[in-house]
Amino acid sequence: MVVEERERGGRNPTGELTVFPVRCFTCGKVIGHYWEKYRDMIREDSPEKVLDSLGIERYCCRRMFLTHKEIMEEIID
Amino acid sequence: MAEIQIVDLKEDSCRFLLSDASESLANSIRRAMISRVPTMAVDFIDIYMNTSSMYDEVLAHRIGQIPLKTDLEKYNLREECVCKGEGCPSCQVSLRLNVEGPRIVYSGDFISDDPDVVPAYDNIPIVKLKEGQQLMLEATARLGFGKEHSKFQPVVACGYRIVPEITIAENCTSCMECVRSCPRNVFSSDDGKVSVKNILECSLCMECVKVCEEDAVKINEDTGKFVFYFEVDGSMSPETVLREALNFLKSRFTELAEMVEDLS
Repeated sequence: MVVEERERGGRNPTGELTVFPVRCFTCGKVIGHYWEKYRDMIREDSPEKVLDSLGIERYCCRRMFLTHKEIMEEIID
Repeated sequence: MAEIQIVDLKEDSCRFLLSDASESLANSIRRAMISRVPTMAVDFIDIYMNTSSMYDEVLAHRIGQIPLKTDLEKYNLREECVCKGEGCPSCQVSLRLNVEGPRIVYSGDFISDDPDVVPAYDNIPIVKLKEGQQLMLEATARLGFGKEHSKFQPVVACGYRIVPEITIAENCTSCMECVRSCPRNVFSSDDGKVSVKNILECSLCMECVKVCEEDAVKINEDTGKFVFYFEVDGSMSPETVLREALNFLKSRFTELAEMVEDLS
């Protein structure tokens, strides 16, 4: 299992990244440290409000959060 | 003589006004901030053990992107160092990571040789380890320029915009069409008269000129004023980035002046 997964370069079969990116792909803003906060906060609030309160302004950075699927857990087990 | 006025200074972003300048000067300041301010970043990694579910290359890529706090006084550029590019304590720092699962590895888990050169953020997740998985590596950070690799770039979203001069002529009928059409709320309509309120927000979309039936709104783009905005990645403060960029430009211009002097 581990070998198969490593052959895909840290990506799952559909090509998604398994862990949240450190930086925004487009503008390079460091966003990695917001991820866990975001993940916990969207349980109670809408993603829009959470991103506003975290200060993620540009749509390039916002899509990093909105389109991310955390699958590291599934891959590890 | 060009002048700089800080409009808004935050911990990680800065907005400033450059006046009495040409567009080429504005652009050279932007380019100097992006690619001529040296910044610390991990450049070389020795991976002794990696039994995690992530490839060595992907791991190295993630570690390279982590911003490190940079003290420009303390470190030399590798090419200009006394060691002549071989690598010594005055031009490079080594960060060690030795962890075992089950746990999430964060950027704060790095043990740095120099307590001043540490990741700017402690809680960037790098990789998740399952029980029995182990990670043992040594990363070497050095100073580099943004022109070499964008991980050495201290600024993010750095750019400028022309600050125009908007004049409203006498024949304005106060129809408020320009106030309504402006997408950035540049105008204000207090006391029933149109006035310019947020000139720094203007994006020169010319919507107000198009919509005005009396041709009363005039926009002059050639004012020599530019509004800059940039964010830093945490490696140093916005003031330092700006100061270093201007120092770089100053030394380059002095060099050029000396060369011209020699010619004549």
